[in-house]
Amino acid sequence: MHISRIEIKNFRCIRHLAVDFGDTTVFVGPNNAGKTAILDALRIALTRRWGQRGAGFNEYDIHLADDTEDPKSSSGISIELRAEERKPEEWSDDIVADLADIVQQSFHTPLRSVTLRARCMWNADTETFEPGWEFLDSSRTPLVGRSARRLNLERFWHYLPVFYLGALRDSGDEFSTRSSQFWTRLLKDLNIPPELETRALQTLDSLNRELLEADPRLDSIAETLSGATRIAARDREGGLDLRMVPLKIWDMLSRAEIIHRNEPGLPWLPLRHQGQGIQSLSVIFLFQAFVDHVLRELFEQGSEPVLALEEPETHLHPQAVRTLWHNVDALPGQKIVTTHSPYFVQNVPFRDLRLVRLTSNGTEVRSLPAEFTASVPPLPGLNAVAENASGLLNYEQTTETLTVRGVLDEKTYRKLLTCCGTDKRRSELGLIIRNLRDSSALYIGDSELQALETYARRMRGEIFFAERWLIVEGQADFLIVHAIASALDYDLDQHGVAVIDAQNNGNPATFAALARAFNIPWLAVFDGDKAGQDFRKAIASRGFSDEELESRCRTHAERDLEAQLVADGLGPELREVLKTVGVKDSNELRDDDLVTRLRDNKTDYAAKFAARLRLDANLVQRTPEAFRTVIEQLRGLR
Amino acid sequence: MGDTLQTTLHELSDIQRRAVQWDHGPLLVLAGPGSGKTRVLTCRVAQLLDQSRDRRFRVLALTFTNKAAHEMSSRVTKLVPGLDERADIHTFHSFCAQVLRQHGAHLGIRPDFAIFSRKSDRQAVLEDAIRREQQHLGHEFYRILPMIDTLKARMIGPEEVENRDHYSKELAQVYRLYENELRRANALDFSSLILEAYKLFNYPVMARHYQTIYRYWMVDEFQDTNDAQYKLIRRMAGENFDQIFAVADDDQTIYEWNGANVRRIRSLVEDFNCEVVQLPTNFRCPPRIVEAANRLLVYNVRRDQSKHPALPARPGNSTGIQQVQLRVFRTDADEAAGISHEIANLDDTERAQTLVLARTRALLEALHDAFNAEHISATLLMRRDDFVSPQLRWLVACLKQINRPLDRLNLTALVETFSDFTSESIDFEYLLARAQTKDLHYLSVWLDTVRQCARLSPFEELIEPIAALATGGLNPTSAINQVLQCFKENGPSEDLKDDLSAWRRLSGEIRTAVGPVPLDRFLQELELRSKKPVADPGAVRLSTIHGAKGLEFDTVYLIGLAEEVLPSWHSVRKGSDSAAIEEERRGCFVAITRTKKRLVLSRASRYRTWPKEPSRFLAEMGFTEAPSATVPGRGSPS
Repeated sequence: MHISRIEIKNFRCIRHLAVDFGDTTVFVGPNNAGKTAILDALRIALTRRWGQRGAGFNEYDIHLADDTEDPKSSSGISIELRAEERKPEEWSDDIVADLADIVQQSFHTPLRSVTLRARCMWNADTETFEPGWEFLDSSRTPLVGRSARRLNLERFWHYLPVFYLGALRDSGDEFSTRSSQFWTRLLKDLNIPPELETRALQTLDSLNRELLEADPRLDSIAETLSGATRIAARDREGGLDLRMVPLKIWDMLSRAEIIHRNEPGLPWLPLRHQGQGIQSLSVIFLFQAFVDHVLRELFEQGSEPVLALEEPETHLHPQAVRTLWHNVDALPGQKIVTTHSPYFVQNVPFRDLRLVRLTSNGTEVRSLPAEFTASVPPLPGLNAVAENASGLLNYEQTTETLTVRGVLDEKTYRKLLTCCGTDKRRSELGLIIRNLRDSSALYIGDSELQALETYARRMRGEIFFAERWLIVEGQADFLIVHAIASALDYDLDQHGVAVIDAQNNGNPATFAALARAFNIPWLAVFDGDKAGQDFRKAIASRGFSDEELESRCRTHAERDLEAQLVADGLGPELREVLKTVGVKDSNELRDDDLVTRLRDNKTDYAAKFAARLRLDANLVQRTPEAFRTVIEQLRGLR
Repeated sequence: MGDTLQTTLHELSDIQRRAVQWDHGPLLVLAGPGSGKTRVLTCRVAQLLDQSRDRRFRVLALTFTNKAAHEMSSRVTKLVPGLDERADIHTFHSFCAQVLRQHGAHLGIRPDFAIFSRKSDRQAVLEDAIRREQQHLGHEFYRILPMIDTLKARMIGPEEVENRDHYSKELAQVYRLYENELRRANALDFSSLILEAYKLFNYPVMARHYQTIYRYWMVDEFQDTNDAQYKLIRRMAGENFDQIFAVADDDQTIYEWNGANVRRIRSLVEDFNCEVVQLPTNFRCPPRIVEAANRLLVYNVRRDQSKHPALPARPGNSTGIQQVQLRVFRTDADEAAGISHEIANLDDTERAQTLVLARTRALLEALHDAFNAEHISATLLMRRDDFVSPQLRWLVACLKQINRPLDRLNLTALVETFSDFTSESIDFEYLLARAQTKDLHYLSVWLDTVRQCARLSPFEELIEPIAALATGGLNPTSAINQVLQCFKENGPSEDLKDDLSAWRRLSGEIRTAVGPVPLDRFLQELELRSKKPVADPGAVRLSTIHGAKGLEFDTVYLIGLAEEVLPSWHSVRKGSDSAAIEEERRGCFVAITRTKKRLVLSRASRYRTWPKEPSRFLAEMGFTEAPSATVPGRGSPS
């Protein structure tokens, strides 16, 4: 079983958002954007203590629009968790029968689901913030009667045990027999045959004796201490002895600890004396051992753990972080991860990424969904339209859900609008369908994402941490635009601007589409030649309006960067730069030959010229206007 | 744990055990009266659960009365404690209600629907529907509901009635209005429970879902399934399901008027390709009665001729009691007086184990009066659709109003019942107006009005718990108990005493059947059950033959054995070889086979002043009258 979707309302910084989950889902976003709120919402709804008064939610969890809002007047927290089969018959017959009271069977697909809603709101009669829960039917109405028994909640939890590893995971806690969620259980589960236990205890006893005899002072210490038993005298003779080794097998096992050495020959050291990185990593693997060995016994056949994992990269070296994704992905069960590491994100498939951002409307989450849905009541002709476009559209009547898998084209969109023709609410419905069309325009197909995986792997780690994107054509643009920005006192790195040299990383149009889907503000500068025009056209074909294109894309007047630099009167400086990279006759060249030579030494001259720009800020006045304009525009771009 | 089950299995006869342990697909068990069919059913359920302790599938058992379901449940709990959670034992109606609560969304049904079982409620719905659409009715009003019920029982929707003739067009229209009005009131009536569930199972995924949850199905009293119920089972079983186990006795089919049909058993065998096991041994009745029953059945030509005659299991006339006796009286009044006098003279122990049966309720009511005259406690075993005291009707109305605050129909009932026992009337229109202007719920307006009325202050103790329940200050159990306590302390009338005892029984029954449930579910369960009070344990039980199914008593009196009484006037008119006569004969068969020790048959020469011949069944059973049996006037025969 697995969580397919969470919908959260009025919880901490979240006003209203819905997130779909895959097997592994990775949340990326600045501090305080709401990543932890999402994990907590999930955890609270699936945690055992929850639902009793005073546990789970409290009044500070209720989202408030501003300082003056009263939590008592809020419509309250609502967290809806949906677990749906990923493929027909995914859930065993036993799971379905066990959860029979709450499982919903879809009408048109064989898929089954369970939806739990946890909520908390002010009750004026009891004067408390009351938590509550309910399972929902296919139309999201609370199920009543037998389905509302608490038993069902406990069973549901049993199939979705949640484990949480916070960013500050302390191996000291996690490997302790007092505070660990995993270690104690693992040790408790160990099976020591009785004969071995007897033998071990005998050995321990004799060892204890030998130790006591080794130094006569031990005996006298024991004698002194036994005064205590005499003072607390009872009718029966008590006793006191010194024990140097564990008294019971469990006592001994509970002292089990992890030791480690980095290389053969170095001393073995306990885990707590290792570096932070290895400690943090060990905790993640401890979870895996726990799932492999005792989860099945503690829960049900078919229980799948949900691991909420904060910042798996903590304290690790970049190389280690790069490979970490594969380890996390391979962990058993469903993983919900937050990260601040570009190295980690590098290997995360695009569809698994969720960008979290705090907006004036509360926390917002963006992703690259493979489909888009809207709630549309049954309308005459709607089924027919959906069936005619069956690869693209699907309509389910019970849930009143219209799904688009891809971009909703204008023709189909018109047909959908026609279905609303006679309905009383047609203007409202028209708006819903238009929004669906608009959001489906954000669709990016699998093959395009595949291409990005191939070309843009290294870079994509960091671009998702940037606040703005500047798309340029090549490496030379990349170097020079950075230098121009510094000279204009707007350091791109400092201001969270990622410069994407699109040519080396695939296709500029894909990045424009990505930026739009993830709601990342972006600008672009292209060459004046045909290729530059084609890039612009490619972006236009993704459904950007002319105005938007006009405001976001700039073009050099000349055919390329080199021609532009020369045309801007930077010839003398460029000739000097060329000389330093080994073009001896640079001063004798005609301007068009100069341009050709620059092209031949693209990265070399660009690096040197960039360095030169940093030294001589006055030069910037002669740099290409397109660059200077976008840098001006980047300030304050939203 | 298994001990009880093992012991019980051990005590079964070979043929009973064969049925219990059957594992070769569909099976029909033909079981005569007293053949231990309930035992076979419960053992089978228990054994299926016992052999699958590590599995989660459930076992479904469908019965015809809540009483039978309740009895089966408690027996299963005794046999396999702790496993009964996986046994779903329901009446057809409560099973369908449960299915609809969980999956009705697909048909636009909300989980918290109400069940309208009372004719008055349904009539009101019909009136509202007609008023709303300002329809004029060609039909006589009182005939419409029975017609709609007949259509629903045959799974015929309004659209299918439409195009027959003018008359049906009008009926279809009213039918549709009635259905829409029910849906608007978020309610279902009894026949739509089956019909709507059937519609759900039209979707193969839904049928398959239920096959997954319920691996084994049992149907008790299969001969009594009507067309709708059988269609429901078939649809739910789809093409492949074959773990069906039906127990039937075609000789006990006495519900043909309700669509039950002796041919249905044959359909079952053919449709499911059932094997048949016969349980001919009668463990209940003395040999003389078994013989009489066998003789009687020979006259029914429409029965399954391959069926074995019943075999007596009990020893012959060893106890010295005369197993069958016959009384003859001059008039029906003499019969009532004579029989009541005779029973009055029985010792207390035997009287408490005595059941009096008659073809019609009228005969029993006369007898009931005669018992009153003798100061003998007697109870009519009849289904009661509603409480009889205004007090409990009011309490139920309050609970319903809390559950469905906008229900105006129920508000009327609430106001009227309250004025019935307080003799203070509150203006209904005034309530409505105030609720509308103040935008308050009906119940709170009513509560305010009552509180403001000085004359009603003595009823404060009743009002306050309801008010507290409505605002969440009290839980349903404590609020209800406070109200009931208050009723109890104020010298309850006989009706109220009956109702209080019924309430006690019902709340206990509901608790064992479905556990502690929220108010809405409690009300749904309440609606499905009879509000009959618990009978005084020493009372003589009086029942119609139709109400006697499944009962057994040491001593049975069957009165009114005269032509045109039993068999009924109606069946006699249809002719000696009619199906109607055969059904009457099966009625007589059911009646006499309730007997464990002693059977008394009686007749009078005149009923309602008309001379009536002795019932043909007397001769068929082989009871020819001895002249001495005729006793004129009052008095017991010697």
